[in-house]
Amino acid sequence: MSKLNASDIQGFSLRGYNMPYSRYCFLEFNAPEDARALLLALLPSVTTGQLWDEKPQSTLNLAFTHRGLAALHLPLATLISFPVEFQLGMKARAAVLGDTGANAPEHWDSLWATDNVHVWLAIHGLSLDAIGKQFHALEALLQSTGGARLLESQEACALCIGGEFNLKEHFGYTDGFGNPDYLGICRSAQPGQGKLGADGKTWEPLATGELLLGYADEAGERPVCPVPHLLGVNGTFMVYRKIRQRVGTFRQFLNHWASRYGAGDDFAKEKLASKFIGRWRDGTPIELSPDRMDQNIVQDPNRSTNFLYRDDPEGTRCPLGAHIRRVNPRDAFGFEGRLIHRRRISRRGAPYGPAAPPEDTPEGQDTEALDAIDRGILFMALNASLARQFEFVQQQWISYGNDARIGNEKDLLLAHHERGDRYGIQGDGSPSNPPLFCTGLPNFTELRGGDYFFIPSITALEMLGRNLVDPR
Amino acid sequence: MSNINGKVYAMNVVTPMKPWKTWLLRGFFFILGHVKALQTDLINLHFIQFARWVIVPRNAFPFFGGTQKREELKYDYLLFFSNFNGTWNQYIDAFSAVLSRGLNLIWRWSEKFPGSVPVTPFKSYITSVQFDTDYYFSAYPEATINDVESAHIVQREFETLARSAAALPANEFRAAYQQFVLKVQSHLGSTGDAPEVF
Amino acid sequence: MANQSGSVYGLTLLCPIIDDERAIPSHDLQIRYHLSKLPLGPDSPFAVAPGTHLARLVVLDDVIYVGMPTCEEHLHSKYLVFECNCDGDRDSYLTGLVQHIPNQLDAIWSHCTGYPGSKDLPAFLDYMKKCQLDTTFFFAPVNDKSVNQTLSALQTQRAVAAFIATHQGCTDTHLQQDFKVFMDRLQKAPPPPPAAHCFARAMKTGGRNE
Repeated sequence: MSKLNASDIQGFSLRGYNMPYSRYCFLEFNAPEDARALLLALLPSVTTGQLWDEKPQSTLNLAFTHRGLAALHLPLATLISFPVEFQLGMKARAAVLGDTGANAPEHWDSLWATDNVHVWLAIHGLSLDAIGKQFHALEALLQSTGGARLLESQEACALCIGGEFNLKEHFGYTDGFGNPDYLGICRSAQPGQGKLGADGKTWEPLATGELLLGYADEAGERPVCPVPHLLGVNGTFMVYRKIRQRVGTFRQFLNHWASRYGAGDDFAKEKLASKFIGRWRDGTPIELSPDRMDQNIVQDPNRSTNFLYRDDPEGTRCPLGAHIRRVNPRDAFGFEGRLIHRRRISRRGAPYGPAAPPEDTPEGQDTEALDAIDRGILFMALNASLARQFEFVQQQWISYGNDARIGNEKDLLLAHHERGDRYGIQGDGSPSNPPLFCTGLPNFTELRGGDYFFIPSITALEMLGRNLVDPR
Repeated sequence: MSNINGKVYAMNVVTPMKPWKTWLLRGFFFILGHVKALQTDLINLHFIQFARWVIVPRNAFPFFGGTQKREELKYDYLLFFSNFNGTWNQYIDAFSAVLSRGLNLIWRWSEKFPGSVPVTPFKSYITSVQFDTDYYFSAYPEATINDVESAHIVQREFETLARSAAALPANEFRAAYQQFVLKVQSHLGSTGDAPEVF
Repeated sequence: MANQSGSVYGLTLLCPIIDDERAIPSHDLQIRYHLSKLPLGPDSPFAVAPGTHLARLVVLDDVIYVGMPTCEEHLHSKYLVFECNCDGDRDSYLTGLVQHIPNQLDAIWSHCTGYPGSKDLPAFLDYMKKCQLDTTFFFAPVNDKSVNQTLSALQTQRAVAAFIATHQGCTDTHLQQDFKVFMDRLQKAPPPPPAAHCFARAMKTGGRNE
C-alpha cells in the first residue's frame, strides 16, 4: 500500500491531540470570494498530520458541511458526487439514527435550527491562553476577509481531579481506549485496537480506507469519493454530536439498582457501573478482569485493549448489551471478526461543561440540581463512510440489539429509551455476579444537535481556497 | 408493495443460465444439501429465516394451453428467494465478506455474474437482477431468526421448570428457578419494531 | 425431497397470468392492485388460514436482461410467484387454505390461466401441482417448529422476561406462589394470533445507499 503523506492530511483526522482544552467554532460563509479568501488566510495555520518534535501550544483544523461546500459555489457535479447521507446532513437522518422523542431535531440547540452551519473550526490547546490567541487571530481574519461570520463557539475541557487532567467523562468512566489502528498511520498502536487476523489470535491494523478517502478499505475497494478525486483523497467524514449527560439521573439510577445487586455495597455499585459499559470506571476491561479493578491492566498497552469475547458467549463476564461490546463486537459474531472490520470508527470526544461534584457529597447526590447543569460530551467520530460505519453502528448496534442477539434492547447510556425498555445483565451463580434486569430506564443522555462534516486534505483546502475545483 | 415486513426482508432474484451450466449448479446444490458442514457458515450468519434457490429449466414454465403461449427461451433461469433480517446492504456485505466462495459456486453459472468480491460490483449486479415483492406476509414480523431461536430456548427451559415447580419445597424451587434464570438470561431480548429503513 | 426441510415445507408456485388485451386494467395489474390493499396483520388471509410462517406473492413481469453478450429474451406470459414457508406438506397446506380462505384465493388466482376455482378441491390441488416448481435447495435454520409453536414461544419469551424482571429480590414463598399462578396462566394461554404485531409502514422500500 502507498505510504501516507502526513503533511497533506489534517492532524485531527489522524490522531487525537491529547490537549486538555478545545473550542469548536461554527461559522457561516458569506459571499464565496470572501469565503475563499478566508480559507487561504487560514491555511498556513491548519495543523497537519506530521509528527511533532515538540507539541505546539495550540492546533487548528477545519471541516465543512455539505451546505458549506455549496455556499462556496462548488460545481454541481462535485456537490452531487458526495455520499448521499452527507448531502442530506445529520438532521435529515434523524429517523435513521433513532434521534426521536427528546433527541429529535426540533428540540436541538438553536445553532442548528436554521441550517446555516457551514464550517467547523476546531482549536485545541494546552492552555486557555493558547486557545485565546488562536481565537483572536481567527476573529481578526473574519473581520479582514469578511469571509464568514461566527455563529457560536463551543468550549470543551478535559475533566480535572486535584489539578490533574484525566481521561474521564461526566458519568465517571475513563474514556479513550477504543480507537482503531489503521495501516500506514503512525500512532502508538496496541493489540486489540485493530482487526483480528485470519488466525483469530493476532491483531492487525485496519485498512487505511476505513478512515481516509482514496485508499483501499476492508472490502478491497475504495470508498465513495467525490469528484474530482483530488478533492476527496486524504479527507474523511466526521459526525459531530453534542450529547448532554444527565449526571443526576445516572447517579440515581446506579444507586437504585446497586442496592439490588450483589451485596448492595460500594463494590457492588462499581461492579454494576462496569456492567453498563464493559469497563470498570477506572478503565479496566471486565472481560479480562470481571472481579476487580486493575490498574496494571489499564496501564499496560499490551493488555488494556487486548481481549476477545469467545470465552464469554453468554455475557456472564461482559453483558451482551454492554456499550463496548455493542460498538466493537470483536470476535463475538464469529468468522474471526470479519463482519466487524467495516464498522469501526475513530472517536475524538471532548467533555464539556463543569465537572460534577463528587458522588460522596450532598451536592453530588442532588439529582435535580445535577441534571440542571448543561454538561456532557462532544462526540466526534471519523470514518470514510458515514452510512456504512457510524450510521450503521448507531442504528443497528446502539439503538437496536438484534446482532448482539438481544432483540430490541438498546445501549443503556446512549440510546433513547421508551417505556418498557430493559437492560439485561447476565451473570453466574456467584453472589457478586448475579443476573440483573434493570427496568424503568430513564434517558441518561440527550442530543442537543450536530451535523455531518467533511474534513478535507491540505491540498483540497487549497483547491477550495483558490476556486480550483473542477469536476472534469 | 414492499420488500420489507417488520424485521424481515423478502429478496427476489432471477438470473439466466446457459442450460449446460445448470447441471453444474445442480451438482453443487446436491453436495451442499448433503454436506451439513457447508451449511454451517450460513447458519452462523444468523440472519436468514428461510431461503431457497429454484432452478427453472427453460421448458419447465407452467403451461396451460388455451390463449397462453408456450415460452421459447434460450436460457434456464435461477430464482432465488430470501427472507433475511437486517438491512439490504448489511446482508450483501456479510455474504461478500465471509461467504464469497460459496456464493460464487452458486452464481458463477449465471450470466454476467461479476463475482462476490469486491462488493460494489456485486451489489450492482444484485440490484439489476432483483425484482420487488408485491405482498409479503410474516406470522411473526416482530421477531428475527435470533429472536425465534431464543424464544424456543426459553420455551424449553420454562417447560422443564414448570414440570418440577409444583412438587418442590420453596427453597429448592428457588434454586431451580435460579438455574432457570441463568439458562435463559441471554435469551430475553424484547421483540417489536424494526429500525428505520435506509 | 428438496421441498421439505424438517417440518417446514418450501412451496414455490409459478402461475401464468391471463393475458387478455381487452382487460382494463390488465390481469397482472389487477393482481398488483388487489395485493396492495390486502391486509398484513391478523386479518391477512395467511393469518386466517393456518400454517404459514413467511410467504410472498410477486408478479413476475419478465425475466431480466443482464446485458451484452447475453442474448436478450422475454417471457410470453407474466407469472404470479407464490413463495411460501409453511407447516405440513403441499396438499395439506393448500387444503387448509381452501377451507379457510376460499374467496381470497379466488380473488387472487382468478386472474391466472387455467385456475379452476377453489370449490373443486381435487381440481384446485391438481392446478397447484402443475404450477409447482421444485425447490433445488431449501435453507431453513429453524425447521422443527410449527407456526403456533413459534408464536407460543415468543409469547413465553415476553412473559418470562417480564416475570423475571418483576420478581427480582422477592422471598422464596412469594416467588414460588407467583410462579405457580404465572405458569398456570401461561400454559393455558392459546398461541397468539399470527401477525398480531403489525407495522403501519409508509409505502417505502429499502434503499441502496451506503
